[in-house]
Amino acid sequence: MAVELIGREQTQARYPDESGEVVRDGVRIHWEVYGSGEPTIFLLPTWSIIHSRHWKGQIPYFARHHRVLTFDGRGNGRSDRPAGGYEEREFAADALAVMDATGTERAVLVSLSQGAQRALLLAADSPERVDGSVFICPAVALGDGLPWRGTYSWDDELDTDEGWAKYNRWYWLRDYRGFLEFFFSQMFNERHSTKPIEDCVGWGLETTPEVLIATHGRDPLDAEAQRELCGRVRSPVLVIQGTNDAITGLGRGTALAEATGGELVLLEGSGHGPHARDPVAVNLLLREFVRKLA
Amino acid sequence: MIVAAPEREQSRARYPDEDGYVERDGVRVFYEVYGDAPTTFLLFPTSPISHSRMWKGQIPYLSRHFRVVVFDPRGNGKSDRPDDAEAYSYWEVVKDGRAVLEATGAETALLGGLCDGGGYALMLAATDPALALGVAAISPCVPGLTPGHPNYRRYPSTEPLDTDEGWAKWNVHYWRRDFRGFLEFFFSQQLPEPHSTKQIEDCVLWGLDGGVDSLVLADEEAPPPFASAEEARELVARVRCPVLVVHGELDNCQTRERALAVAELTRGTFVGLEGAGHIPTARHPVKVNGLLKEFADEVAPPAPKVKTWTRALSRRRRALYVSSPIGLGHARRDVAIAKELRKLHPDLEIDWLAQHPVTAVLEAEGERIHPASALLANESTHIESESAEHDLHAFQAIRRMDEILVANFMLFLDVVREEHYDLWIGDEAWEVDYFLHENPELKSSAYVWLTDFVGWLPMGDGGEHEEFLTADYNAEMIEHIARFPRIRDRAVFVGNPDDVVPDSFGAELPGIRDWTEQHYDFAGYVTGFEPVADREKLRHELGYRPREQVCIVTVGGSGVGGHLLRRVIDAFPAAKPLVPELRMIVVAGPRIDPATLPAPEGLEVRAYVHELYRHLAACDLAIVQGGLTTSMELTANRRPFLYFPLRHHFEQNFHVRHRLERYGAGRCMDFESDGPTEIATAIAEEIGRDVDYRPVETDGAARAAKLIAELV
Repeated sequence: MAVELIGREQTQARYPDESGEVVRDGVRIHWEVYGSGEPTIFLLPTWSIIHSRHWKGQIPYFARHHRVLTFDGRGNGRSDRPAGGYEEREFAADALAVMDATGTERAVLVSLSQGAQRALLLAADSPERVDGSVFICPAVALGDGLPWRGTYSWDDELDTDEGWAKYNRWYWLRDYRGFLEFFFSQMFNERHSTKPIEDCVGWGLETTPEVLIATHGRDPLDAEAQRELCGRVRSPVLVIQGTNDAITGLGRGTALAEATGGELVLLEGSGHGPHARDPVAVNLLLREFVRKLA
Repeated sequence: MIVAAPEREQSRARYPDEDGYVERDGVRVFYEVYGDAPTTFLLFPTSPISHSRMWKGQIPYLSRHFRVVVFDPRGNGKSDRPDDAEAYSYWEVVKDGRAVLEATGAETALLGGLCDGGGYALMLAATDPALALGVAAISPCVPGLTPGHPNYRRYPSTEPLDTDEGWAKWNVHYWRRDFRGFLEFFFSQQLPEPHSTKQIEDCVLWGLDGGVDSLVLADEEAPPPFASAEEARELVARVRCPVLVVHGELDNCQTRERALAVAELTRGTFVGLEGAGHIPTARHPVKVNGLLKEFADEVAPPAPKVKTWTRALSRRRRALYVSSPIGLGHARRDVAIAKELRKLHPDLEIDWLAQHPVTAVLEAEGERIHPASALLANESTHIESESAEHDLHAFQAIRRMDEILVANFMLFLDVVREEHYDLWIGDEAWEVDYFLHENPELKSSAYVWLTDFVGWLPMGDGGEHEEFLTADYNAEMIEHIARFPRIRDRAVFVGNPDDVVPDSFGAELPGIRDWTEQHYDFAGYVTGFEPVADREKLRHELGYRPREQVCIVTVGGSGVGGHLLRRVIDAFPAAKPLVPELRMIVVAGPRIDPATLPAPEGLEVRAYVHELYRHLAACDLAIVQGGLTTSMELTANRRPFLYFPLRHHFEQNFHVRHRLERYGAGRCMDFESDGPTEIATAIAEEIGRDVDYRPVETDGAARAAKLIAELV
């Protein structure tokens, strides 16, 4: 698929009421606040392959009733792109720093994919700051993964570029856009998904393959550590999981719901980015969850 | 308004799993428990002007999600009627509520109440905060919290008055003079929404059950619960649990100001119902049930379970078919329509929400019966319970089915909220049609309504009152369609314009025929089978000898027909000599025990006949009730038949008879005047006769399906 990039960001339905930066160990993290109203909805960053604009389907809706907080994960968007420091605990620390900087005592966490691990750290280690957590297609080490994710080495040079062989640091350096187009077409495997794919490719191009390589595989939390975190989550949990998720898979979300004792909503026919592909359904699920917390 | 008092309680949609009494200071209070969900929901009674049946619109639904506990107030229902005013103080009822919860083993509970009941619930929550999970106060009355409704201050309530006009009826002297007159006035004020006859009737009967003494003691002589407005405010402000306040704009009993004060003092949620009166539980049960469930789910969240939402373009094409079980007749025509529908949409999955006896036909056809069907309150049983000797007041039976209709609609709603259907089809699914028009925001799919008659018609001996009631029902239906034409995407009349009766919907209402032609599509009649081509061959297959004169007597799937079967059996000895080759076969059907029928020599009684319609096609004479399905089957197969419309059954006496006369089919008999002798004579005259009926179309199911198929 060829993606035509237009030079400037498209019109937003809602612009931030406040934005700023917080600096940790010399790394600047860009945050934004939209709207007002309790509780604060904290839309966490996912893998730095994209930045906070991926929540564009949620922000305008929730900002009408809530204070919505977002930040760009280190490595993309308006945040710095340090050479290292992409461990999960750094993202969690960034999140707390953003909460402090914005005077956010507590919030409902919403995370996508890789964001799940940060959210788990926050919910388990800082329970006083977390009212509840929603995990969308969580990338966790629990439950069954997808068979095709283990086929190729990420680290070694491969003699093919076919399919998931593109998930390889050498291919990233060779054809970064090609990787992004492949990856996001897997993420949005619902038919007629050109726009969300384009969006994500565009956001991916805002960073570099070098940064992405730096984010990859840095001290990930292993299954045991994640399970232990899940056991300590006391606030309500909702897992939203696409049944056709080709990036992390149905087994992950199902296992996370079980490990946290949370609610599970399956989206039949959805891939890995239902908040972008089916924003109305996801917004309604989020609203119901938030309303029940109140 | 005149309210005719039936002697016995109408069928409930749900009966208690447990009941009992608690006794405090010698006063026995009767309670009931429904369901066994983990969370208890106590629904308080109101003053002794009513009893626990006031919650009949809520119990069947809520008990699927909660353990529902109700009790009769002292002074009404099955509770004692103490004779001292002290025993009727608010605080005594609050203590009764706590005692009932203790007796039923509930340590915590959601508390609900209407009017005084809202007050009791708030008082219990204020004084026992560990017990109360939440309070739903509908049209709440907390005496003294705010000035009372102006209606109660128009006239002194305890002094003799020289008028009975309007609110002068709120007077103990009038109560003692004409208690029923008072109740009729009072509840017509509290149910000011048009078309509330049934709800008013119910309330009047429940009021009569309590009696005037209870009401005088409770409302006029019992000590007030609070010494001052300040004391009332302080108490309400002590409520710590979540509170929902519901108040109808047209409430003639409790003011909006009072309801708002409750919401404000408890930091509760206030829901105003516009156009609604004091008793939305009865008049707007679907809306109120939704509010109660939503509130309860927030206060006591149900255990998490896996839910699924399917992306629009990932959904299979699905229809939910709701087939009325009243009479066996709808089942076969609905199956025929479903088959035609599948021809047009081979990928269409059809689920059936249906109950016995329809399910028997569906199972035999291999149709998929939605598992929730098992939770439907049974309408056939109700209809049988309403019938007497060859007598069924069909209109009143439907009215007295109101609780079942609410319960079954709530079930339908749960089903269509859990699963995606592209299309809802309701064949005389009264609950679906009525409550969709009453709650139009709930329509989330294409919807087709099918019926074979239009218009409630009064029976002659029902007098002016029945004329008034049927016209009122018709008027509501006409208003529904006029105001919300988007609800029925198709309205299909199973028949032809000439089958529609020439009557009027009632005084100042349109003619039924004109209106129906404007608002319906006509599918023609749907028999659900191909007419028999070779009758001789069929007779041979079924084992009938060529010269035998076969007479089949059947009342279909109805349990109402035992008297007719016996009457015809009694005619057999007289008929046999007149028709020497007579072979009479009496089919008891699924709901009559054949052992209860006499079987004189030479007469065959059978419990069930497989493919009865084939035997009806082969016979020389049939004797049936006035139901549409069987009589039209006989018409389509051009068989002579005698039919006996059930007494007081407006559909059989007017609608079906009109249609049969148009086809020139059948000989109408009168159960009242036609005894065994007359029946024997008629058998002899009719059996084996060649008929000249108007032919019945055979493409009705395909035409109906075509009309429906356009929607998916």
